[in-house]
Amino acid sequence: MSGGNAPEKAVVDPEVQETLIAVGDLDGQRFDQAEVFTKKGKSRRVTLAPGHRTSVYSEERGWAVRAGNRRASFFASGTGQVTPAGPWPEPDGLGLRLPKPHAAPRWVLPSDFESPLIGEREGVALLDGIARALAEELTGSRLIQAAVEDGASEAQLMNCHGLKCRFRHRLASLHLEAVAPGAAGIRASLYLAERDARKFNPLALARRLADRLSILSQGRARPRDRGDCLLAPPLMARLLAGLTPLWVGTEAKLKVDRLWGGDRRIAGEGWTLLDNGRLPGGALEAPFDGEGVATRETVLVDSGEYRRPLLTWWQTRDSEYRESGCSRRASWRDLPSPGPTHLYLRPKAGISVADLLGDIARGYYLLEATGAGRFDWQENRFEIPVCGLEVRRGRATGPVNHCVLRGKITGFLASIQAVARDLAFLPLGGMIGSPTVLATGLELFAEEGPG
Amino acid sequence: MPFSALDHAAIARALSQIADRSHDLVDAFFERSEEVSLPAEGGPPGFTVRREEGLAIRLVRGDRSWLASRDGISPSLFAEALRQAARAMPIAAYPEPRLDPTPWIDRPEAPELVPFPTDVIRHLRQERVAFPLRLHVARHRRWLQIIGPRWVPEEQFESFYSCTAETPWCRLGMLLPSLGPSAVEAVAAPLLESFRCRHAPAPEASTGVVLLGPEATAVLLHEAVAHALEADTLALGGSPNAAIGVRLAQDGFHVLDDPSSAPEGVRRTCDDEGVTVCRRWLLRDGVVEQPLADSAAAQVTEALLPGAARRSHRHLPPAPRSTHLEVVAGEYGLDDLAADSDGLWIPRADRGRLDPVSGQFSLDIPHARRLRSGQIAEPVGPCRLEGRVGDLLGAIQGVGRQAQTAGAGWCAKGGQKLPVWATATPLRLEGVTVKP
Repeated sequence: MSGGNAPEKAVVDPEVQETLIAVGDLDGQRFDQAEVFTKKGKSRRVTLAPGHRTSVYSEERGWAVRAGNRRASFFASGTGQVTPAGPWPEPDGLGLRLPKPHAAPRWVLPSDFESPLIGEREGVALLDGIARALAEELTGSRLIQAAVEDGASEAQLMNCHGLKCRFRHRLASLHLEAVAPGAAGIRASLYLAERDARKFNPLALARRLADRLSILSQGRARPRDRGDCLLAPPLMARLLAGLTPLWVGTEAKLKVDRLWGGDRRIAGEGWTLLDNGRLPGGALEAPFDGEGVATRETVLVDSGEYRRPLLTWWQTRDSEYRESGCSRRASWRDLPSPGPTHLYLRPKAGISVADLLGDIARGYYLLEATGAGRFDWQENRFEIPVCGLEVRRGRATGPVNHCVLRGKITGFLASIQAVARDLAFLPLGGMIGSPTVLATGLELFAEEGPG
Repeated sequence: MPFSALDHAAIARALSQIADRSHDLVDAFFERSEEVSLPAEGGPPGFTVRREEGLAIRLVRGDRSWLASRDGISPSLFAEALRQAARAMPIAAYPEPRLDPTPWIDRPEAPELVPFPTDVIRHLRQERVAFPLRLHVARHRRWLQIIGPRWVPEEQFESFYSCTAETPWCRLGMLLPSLGPSAVEAVAAPLLESFRCRHAPAPEASTGVVLLGPEATAVLLHEAVAHALEADTLALGGSPNAAIGVRLAQDGFHVLDDPSSAPEGVRRTCDDEGVTVCRRWLLRDGVVEQPLADSAAAQVTEALLPGAARRSHRHLPPAPRSTHLEVVAGEYGLDDLAADSDGLWIPRADRGRLDPVSGQFSLDIPHARRLRSGQIAEPVGPCRLEGRVGDLLGAIQGVGRQAQTAGAGWCAKGGQKLPVWATATPLRLEGVTVKP
């Protein structure tokens, strides 16, 4: 099946069509805007907790209907099969507008969408494998909680303008929590997403957890320092996620104009930022967004120059921009809302992390954020607690912890000098990705305060 | 009640077929839930309605659990889920019991939601205050029926409201048992106080006396007592049994979890595994007496009592959680607790966080007021109360005599979003650290 490329030719189930007709003329109230969305899916979740293992197999099936006119509207959702009879709530609130169909670029269903869900034994083996590898990597450390979930779903959407589409999703997530040896209560966690649970590599994940636990256990705070910093993908993804208000929505351009005074150059040459709902191999790859608008690649920042924000079809009304296809539905229960799908900094082929590390005479290789970042748009400031390694002449010389990366938001974007090829994504309200980057002139503080 | 027409006996018989070992636990969970919400003024669409119905079958065998869940209630879905939980293809298909929940055909309405935002704004205006405010209000209803092979507890029903208020300087969320004048007051009063404190500077880091209002007490005890004494949290550090008998606070400080005395509308007679709830003394005279446990934990650790299992929906297995925390009232009035002290009066806390491994705890405070010679004085801005659970509970030096329903909110531990309720008193803490 090719995920449906012409949004008016896709075949939807008869009950979807019948419901759309029924809500279009509900109790004589002419709703010239109506939409029916259905989704069914299945998932397997295997969890490991102290002394207990759980395996859950769920089959979900739900629908959502939006209907209204210029004066009033409603949203209703429910489980099972959608029926024309409803019952539907009284419309109220603001009016509703829905998108019209447009031709969508061709999209071929990736072959791994067809692979079966991870089995219970496979899930247990994956988690056990991670636990074993972690204990071998760092003696005395242990996995205290772990959960792997693998799911597949199919959605259908039809609206009164003739928009019809049908598309599938495949998504797996992994949550790990581990403690370091000793009684200090040092804990590290990972939350990752892939399209297929079989892509999680137990050994690599165990090493990452062991590295993080070692750094958190042995790392020391540094006094205020400035130097070249290599920012690893997990930290960069958190920073990009924190900067989302600059990239998404109608207010984004205003924020950028305010911070950079209308200058289009906001970052170094190496900074090309994109969002792509149909990123090949991406965990959220799909031909259409949650309102049936075709997804596409949208360049937000091109070689350091601000191009445009990420906007849904209704946000582009009265604007110079084309819609990005970025309306997301967290589930059938939820209203579609704007947000990134695969938002990422474009990697540079041929540049390895080792190449960038070798360029650092004195600085830091910052690996992860140890807490939430803070971004103050009014004051043009940001700060994020970090951990990593101290680097001297291209070599790691010791772990660093209890530090805060702090500075101006504009300064941070300008500080990025080079980008590596190791693009990695994190699930942070959409998949947010970045390769390792080299930044110059960033300031690191001890966690308790400056200096 | 939607599940009164289920064939309980046939369901119990079907469940008994997969519980074929002596210590197997098996249950069927039938759920119907509804959320009707009215978005803040200016937000589309109008009424938003979410209605769900489904079932889950669970089998616990030793240190393993299997759960199979479905969105819908029908004999074939039940039989499918039963087969999946059993992980076996039986020689003969499992019988399909009669499952006829009452059809859900009534129009979703919640007219009581409509005047509430206006009433809150009117209340604020009576205080001669007006500011940009977006109020989102929702009604939540849930019907549950749990059936085991040997027991059929009565059907459970919960109904409550949630309200989220957004102003340019704060976001306030709370749960309300009903939407009467007292609910208007419960939403308006903290909004008014946050308006008055909006420009207040954060206090300097200090260690000293802190007076917690009932709302802040509820959040503190939810994190520092309830979460800390959940069997699954305790298991992260070793045996849950080891916590029993440990002194965490001083004599005279008692904390219970009692779902049967929760506010009307959310009172429960059984937990989400169908086990009868009890008045559970978490701390009696400051000593841990009975941690929160579900059936699986109680099976492993004999000293634990089941009856505190909760599940946010059918697709997740139950886990031990509190429902309604209760602080037994002490002997002091608010003036006695303040007792000529200098420090901070903290009426409300946004949220608390507990690191289950290190025992480190923090409470985010949106605003507070200084306590000067026992008198509540000028406001201070956002700050954080930090410490280890044992140290914080050990710092409680006085318990107020005015217990009130307070501090209800959503708890989201482990991805399970659950409403939690509390009846709490003011507390006096000494020697605790507050940081900006």
